[in-house]
Amino acid sequence: MRGLPVYVLLVVAALALVGADRLNAYWMHVAIIGMYYGILAASWSLLAGYVGLFSLSHTAFASIGGYTSALLVKWLGIPVLLGMGAGIVMCGVLGGAIGWVCLRMSGPYLAIFTLAFSEIVRITISTEDDVTAGMAGLHTAPLFQSATRLPYFYAAFALLAASLLLMGLLVRSRWGLFLRAIREDEQAASASGVAVARFRILAFAIASAFAGLAGGFYAHYIGIMTPGVGDLDEMAKLVVMTVIGGMERLPTAVGGAFVVEALLEVLRSYGQWRLPLFGVLLLLTMRFARNGLLTPLWLQLVRLGDTRVGPLAAARDVPQKDSAA
Amino acid sequence: MSDGAELVRGVGLVKRFGGIVANDAVDLVVAEGDLVGLIGPNGSGKTTLINVLTGHLEPDGGEVRVRGRRVSGRPPHVYAGMGVARTFQLTQLFGRMTVLENMLVPGLTRPHSRWDEVARRARGYLEFLNLAHLEQLQARNLSGGQQKLLELGRCLMLEPAVLFLDEPFAGVHPRLREELVARIRELHRGGRTFVVVDHDMESILRISRRLVVMARGSKIADGDPAAVRADQTVLAAYAGL
Repeated sequence: MRGLPVYVLLVVAALALVGADRLNAYWMHVAIIGMYYGILAASWSLLAGYVGLFSLSHTAFASIGGYTSALLVKWLGIPVLLGMGAGIVMCGVLGGAIGWVCLRMSGPYLAIFTLAFSEIVRITISTEDDVTAGMAGLHTAPLFQSATRLPYFYAAFALLAASLLLMGLLVRSRWGLFLRAIREDEQAASASGVAVARFRILAFAIASAFAGLAGGFYAHYIGIMTPGVGDLDEMAKLVVMTVIGGMERLPTAVGGAFVVEALLEVLRSYGQWRLPLFGVLLLLTMRFARNGLLTPLWLQLVRLGDTRVGPLAAARDVPQKDSAA
Repeated sequence: MSDGAELVRGVGLVKRFGGIVANDAVDLVVAEGDLVGLIGPNGSGKTTLINVLTGHLEPDGGEVRVRGRRVSGRPPHVYAGMGVARTFQLTQLFGRMTVLENMLVPGLTRPHSRWDEVARRARGYLEFLNLAHLEQLQARNLSGGQQKLLELGRCLMLEPAVLFLDEPFAGVHPRLREELVARIRELHRGGRTFVVVDHDMESILRISRRLVVMARGSKIADGDPAAVRADQTVLAAYAGL
């Protein structure tokens, strides 16, 4: 049964949908925030894991998406969904521009450049009080007029599912193959006919647009946007989530987001000590399981579903068709 | 040079790295049906010339034409799209992708290509290169010789007009080297055009129909292999005189 991982995901999704109304408000909030991070982790994995572009401006794009939507809704009175759409477009365009500027950068140079961009965004938002309300926070219009969080849960679920579907289709397509080729060797990809510059820009634009989507949803769920949404602490948290889950596959990246978000809540009684704990976990992951802690589980699932027998099927640890689900 | 149509022409190519002139006004024409051996001592500018002729380096002077169209300054994928394929001195595969995926990438960059048709063609070439049984293996797990064969296969997926092979025999086990020579010959008989750079003179002389010799960034000989081998300038260059 080659589609086993997909069926497992569908069962998990069905259980989540059926059991949602049994969650109390607290855990429903945790689940919604987990899904917000899930979209961010998946889209950052698209950029860092599939294309090898280690950008540190991903949460800054979430922030831009959130503020764009919130401000347009506030100023123009447009519907929230339209505002979120504008945030996605803004992040896509800005992401493409950053991708273009960073064309010849990779590794630490790209990381430092995007880090600087992220700080510029945060400082600008913090200091432009008249526009963004600065550190006091910008109050945003709600996505739903509802007394419960349930509509937000379903909305976050739908957005995460749609994002995963779209990103999954992308990584399974020929474009996905080209993006992975660029990650492996830009020069060889170019010699193979891949328009490297175009695809790098495209990857930045698409990943940033998804970050904008997540940010837009967050803005109209949480009710207030602060510069902290896009700060380096948030980016570090996103990196921890994605790396611990497994950054080269979308489902493991999303799994990492849920695991870390849930653990942060479960370990809340440890106060600030839970954060160094995650630091240690990250160190151990990088040392002993570079592909992430969830990747072996995912591959086991893939192998169980792979009916083809033989040593080569077992040796293949990055199965293209299965990796994207 | 063969009587075929001109495919790639480098005119007065100059390439400098700091104060070093790697290519000094080099002219080279590759025509359809050629099987050119490009030789020269270390540091003579062979790889630089290939890099310039395939778009991986922009010349500081002169120009590159592919099928008569000026392309110097354009990115390498434009050259690839016009049928100019190349391998690298140090094999450059997509290491964590499977052998089959390595073949699919160039095939799918071609306009109007269909996945199933490209996969069928890729499997055909893998069969031809004796790599079919390894199609699901990650490319980084292949032996050095198999990696060279796969790099050749990846070039073939572009259905190229001309293939530039940079040291295809370097570090390859003698048995696989024989296989590589046999495949190049077979492909040449099938109408492919090759420019092969290597230090393995025996293999080069066995396959070349035309020999080009570089020394100190300049082309010092170009012609029939037997005549070039007897050329005093060439002998002097190799003797370091």
